[in-house]
Amino acid sequence: MKQRAVWAAVLVAGLALTGCGSATGSGSSSGGSDKKLVVWDWKSGEASSAQYVEKAKADFAKKHKDVEVEFVAQPFDQYYTLLGAAIQSGKGPDVILFNGGGQIRDRVDSLQPLDEYVGEDRQRLAGWEAFAKGGKTYAAPVTLQGHPIYYNKALYERAGLDPAKPATTWQEFVANCATITQKTGAKCFAQGNKEGIGIQFFLSAMASGVLTPQEYDNWIAGKRDWNSPNVKKIFELWKETGTAKLNNDGANSTAMFNDAFAVFQSGKAAHIIGLMSDIGHWKDFNEFITPEKLGVMMAPTVTSGATPSLPYDGGIGYAVAKWTKDPKVAADLVRSLTSTDALKAFYANAGAITADTTIDVSQSGPAVTTIVGALKTGKPAPHVALSSKALDLMGRLSQQLLSGSISVDDVVKQMAAADTAG
Amino acid sequence: MPPTSRDRAVPRRVAGGRRAEMLAPFVLVAPAVLILVLLRLYPLLLGVNFSFTGDGDRDGAMVGFDNYVDLLQDPLFQGALRNVGLLVLLLPVAVAIPGLLATFIYLRVPGHRFYRSVYFFPAVLSPVIVGAIFNLLLSFDGPVNSILGAVGIGPVDWLGDPDVAMFAVVGVHVWATFGMALVVFLAGFATLDSALLDAARVDGASLTQVIWHVIIPSLSRTIQFVFVTTMIGMLTSMFGLLYVMTSGGPEGSTYLPEYYIWIQQGQMNRPALASAASTVLFVIMLVVGLLQLKLLRRAGRED
Repeated sequence: MKQRAVWAAVLVAGLALTGCGSATGSGSSSGGSDKKLVVWDWKSGEASSAQYVEKAKADFAKKHKDVEVEFVAQPFDQYYTLLGAAIQSGKGPDVILFNGGGQIRDRVDSLQPLDEYVGEDRQRLAGWEAFAKGGKTYAAPVTLQGHPIYYNKALYERAGLDPAKPATTWQEFVANCATITQKTGAKCFAQGNKEGIGIQFFLSAMASGVLTPQEYDNWIAGKRDWNSPNVKKIFELWKETGTAKLNNDGANSTAMFNDAFAVFQSGKAAHIIGLMSDIGHWKDFNEFITPEKLGVMMAPTVTSGATPSLPYDGGIGYAVAKWTKDPKVAADLVRSLTSTDALKAFYANAGAITADTTIDVSQSGPAVTTIVGALKTGKPAPHVALSSKALDLMGRLSQQLLSGSISVDDVVKQMAAADTAG
Repeated sequence: MPPTSRDRAVPRRVAGGRRAEMLAPFVLVAPAVLILVLLRLYPLLLGVNFSFTGDGDRDGAMVGFDNYVDLLQDPLFQGALRNVGLLVLLLPVAVAIPGLLATFIYLRVPGHRFYRSVYFFPAVLSPVIVGAIFNLLLSFDGPVNSILGAVGIGPVDWLGDPDVAMFAVVGVHVWATFGMALVVFLAGFATLDSALLDAARVDGASLTQVIWHVIIPSLSRTIQFVFVTTMIGMLTSMFGLLYVMTSGGPEGSTYLPEYYIWIQQGQMNRPALASAASTVLFVIMLVVGLLQLKLLRRAGRED
């Protein structure tokens, strides 16, 4: 008993001694020295990004000859875990690549506002909103990320449909899908919801055809009415893709990357809600379906008064850490990483639709031209406005909707609670 | 007569020698203790302490038991704990499979040498590779469902059905790891008294009777050891498989505490909540470990 008491005392003393720690450190030491900037990303290790990084480095070297830049490419599937650890220790890279939306907004406490440094780039680049919180901008956009609905014109032709005129209403869309499945055996949607991200793509792609423009703007502005019939409608449509067998079989166990894309590329499904950055996008699909047969369509209209548009935001962008020694020099590096020359190389080699809308894309086929043409009227993607916690929950609920173990009413109720909590 | 300096010096030297002798064990274990305290105990205490601080806006502030309340109210964490319970229930199966196979090898079924090496083979594969292989095999349009289809059984969504997925992952884990337990069992068999088996056979015992009345009692300590190591393996090393095969899905049905901790820390940016979850996992492991130690000790006394 006495021994136990001694151990208990040691434990209590230990807890008391460590009593002033915190889970997230607030230290302010720098990752690099005065003459060195450390950049963390998940792109610079890829061959398709080599020229982009080279051009950005050259541009930066013109302004700061004496500052060395080191790129550290991290594996993407562990990127935010590693970054979280770096942030908690208060020692991390000076310049950090982020996905727009929740990932950067959750971490703005560790970042430097860039508004005073990037004024000149405001007009040239698009997609700033995804990197802003509380009226301040925390990163400059490199690419635009959006969710065009791609379709396979060859399957349309084989089914006797006009590939130049995809459906404009949901009823027509479902009828077309029935025809395609009947004539060609291909499913309507290539769907991958294993990680629960299929619903994010679906929500963003379909919302502009379901929500009224006012509802859409309110949603983005954070005034989300989860009980509105139109919001429910989106989840009903998602459920319908399961019950009406519009998706490929086993959607809940099909990974979006790369399984669902493979389903679309191999002609086993007529549509896919894809991306426009540098994976799962037009360039990947062009290789298999050919540029002439790859179409891009707007969301079919579900409610009257809805005006379908391309959902897109800033895709990835570079931010500056709070603890960097000279924020201006770091911001200059961010500006070099978003310079027209560097972005041109990124578009040409990786196929990403970059944030710089002045770059000419006319050589890449009709799908890209359609996407870039739709940027002017496009609006931010609805799922990007949600917190990571709400997105995580929505992923699980979407799987339950597909398996039929939850009702749409329950889904919107749980989402409303998570959205206010988040 | 007053004592000479020589007389006084002797007891002092003896006392000094005794003190050195008394201190020697402490000096000898000091490096090990220091390493344990610095690298094991201190981080553990830090983690426990972190679990009482807040995340996000409340970063660094002491929040008492708020994180633990959050945890217990989180259906995802409840699911993870339920899955721990499921693993405990499945444990006898995970032990019985290598046990039975080792018995057959020991009883020299035809081809036993071949089986012995083949059974061990998956144990050297990385969980990531195993996960990737079974992802292909168990995919909805994969070979397993094709075979089922050929014999007229409808396809099973092995990794997409929340009622099936956890069993699929545990099954793959057992497949990948039972080779190690099999080796332990075979080592146990090496110590088995073959005279007992011969006696049982002479008395006309059936195979089941031999296993039940001779092999299992003789191998009780080996079986207990395999129980302990298999349980620890299930609780701590299924992360790789879960990550590759289901990512906690579908519907959060394959979450284990370890995966939950990783998601909260890395993806949700809630390190304090993750610390609370790891403290809970630590306590679970401690309780399971102590219970098993108790069992082992009791078994030792019976011997």
